[in-house]
Amino acid sequence: MDLHTRTEGNAIVVTLSGRLDAVTAPEFEKSIRELIDSGNSRIVVDFDQVDYISSAGLRGLLLMAKLLNAKGGQSCLANVKGNVRSVFDMCGFCSVFKIENSVAEALAAIA
Amino acid sequence: MIKIEHLSKKFGDLVVLKDISTEIKTGEVVTIIGPSGTGKSTLLRCLNLLEVPSGGSIYINGEDILDKKTDVAKIRQKMNMVFQSFNLFSHLSVMENLTLGPIKLQGISEQDAQAKALELLRLVGLAEKADSYPDELSGGQQQRVAIARCLAMEPDIILFDEPTSALDPTMIREVLSVIRRLAREGMTMAIVTHEMDFARDVSNRVLYMDEGLIYEEGTPEQIFEHPQKEKTRAFINRILSYTRRISSPDYDLYAINAEIEAFCEKQILPKKTRNNLLLLVEELLQIYAPYLGPIVLDMTITYSEKNDRLELICESTGEQANPIESESLDDELGLMIIRNLTESIDYQWINGKNRLQFLIKK
Repeated sequence: MDLHTRTEGNAIVVTLSGRLDAVTAPEFEKSIRELIDSGNSRIVVDFDQVDYISSAGLRGLLLMAKLLNAKGGQSCLANVKGNVRSVFDMCGFCSVFKIENSVAEALAAIA
Repeated sequence: MIKIEHLSKKFGDLVVLKDISTEIKTGEVVTIIGPSGTGKSTLLRCLNLLEVPSGGSIYINGEDILDKKTDVAKIRQKMNMVFQSFNLFSHLSVMENLTLGPIKLQGISEQDAQAKALELLRLVGLAEKADSYPDELSGGQQQRVAIARCLAMEPDIILFDEPTSALDPTMIREVLSVIRRLAREGMTMAIVTHEMDFARDVSNRVLYMDEGLIYEEGTPEQIFEHPQKEKTRAFINRILSYTRRISSPDYDLYAINAEIEAFCEKQILPKKTRNNLLLLVEELLQIYAPYLGPIVLDMTITYSEKNDRLELICESTGEQANPIESESLDDELGLMIIRNLTESIDYQWINGKNRLQFLIKK
C-alpha cells in the first residue's frame, strides 16, 4: 500500500493505493493517528487506487472516525468502488461513513 | 480366468505396485482408472509379462505365469495387448501386420490367415485398407488395425493400455466404438483408460488405482455415482486441491496469497472468485491468528471441475470449539464478510480436529 497526503484548504487528503489489509492496516492507522495528533480534524480518504480491503482496513477507518469524533472533526471517503465497495456493502459501512464520488465532492461535504 | 495375488513391482527403490489382488472373470470388462503414475499401465504390463513382477502371483486359468517353466510367448498369445502408440510394423501392409503372428506363431496357412484378417478388418471397419501401410492411415485407423491384429491371435483376453490417449479427439470415438462392440460380443478385456464416460458405459467392474494399490473397486455405478473413499471421490469429481499448513501467528499473508492466486490461475477461476477467496482466507487467518502456535491450522482449497464448486476447509488442532463462534472476537466485521462470501458454513469435530467447511459463492 502507498499512502500520500496533501493539504486542500483546511482539510487533509489521504490518497491510498494498493491493498488495505492485515499487513498494511497498521501503517494506515499509524499515519492517521499522526495526522490527527498533529491537529488535523478534517480528512478525506481517496480510495480511487485501492483494489482490496479487508476487515483490518475497515477497522483502521473506524479508528479514524473515532479519533476524529473525539476531537470534533469530520471525515469523508471518496471513490469507493469495485471490490472495496462490495466489502463496504457487506459490513454496512456505506451508511456509517460519508462517501462521495470524487475528492472534490468529499472536500465540499466536510467544508 | 485371471487371478492376481499380492502383486508388487519395484523399479530400483521406486515401488510402483504395492500389493495388488484381484480377479478378472471370463467375459468381464474391467476398466482401470486413476491418476497418472499410479501403476495402471505397469499392472497391465506385469500381466503380459512385459514387466517382471517383483512379488506376488498371477494365475491364468489356474496356471501360475510367474513359474519359470511357463511359456511366455504362449501366455502373450492368450493375453494380447493393445498399446497407446499402436506399435504396428510400419514396413508391413495392414494385411501383413495382421497375418504375421498367426502364420509365424500359430502355424496357420497364409490363405487362412488372410481370410481371417479380412474378416477382422471388416469388424473394425477397415477392410478397404488391407493393402495400405500404417503411415497412410490416421491415428484412429492405426489403432483399429492394432485391435484387429490383436484379435487375429484369438486371445482369451485383451489388455488395452490407454488405447485412445495418443489420438485426436475426433478419432477417439471410432476406436471406442470398436472396443464397445467387442464388449458386447463377450470379449474379456482389461482397459486402462482416462475416458471416464467410456469406462462407465463399457465396464462390468471398475478398479480405481492410487498409491500403487487398487484403492477402491466396484461396479461403474458404485465408483462413479457413490465412491466411498476420499481420493476416489476427488478423482471422479475432478477435484483439485491446494493445502497450506499455518502454525505461527507470523504467517506470510502475501506468500499464501501468491500460492492461492497460482491455484486459481491454474483452474481458470474468474477474478472476482479469486478476490473473494483471498478475502475469505485473510478473514479466517485473522480469526485463527491469536491461537496459532499452540494450534496448527491446515487450510485446503478444493475446486471440483465437474460441479464447478469451490470450497475452503479449515482443520485445526486444539480443544473442540467452533473458531468462528468464539466469543473472544473483537467485533463482527470479519464474520460479516465471511458470511457474505459463502453459501454455506459447516462445522464438525472430526478425528480430534475442528473442521470448518465453507462453500464459496461464485
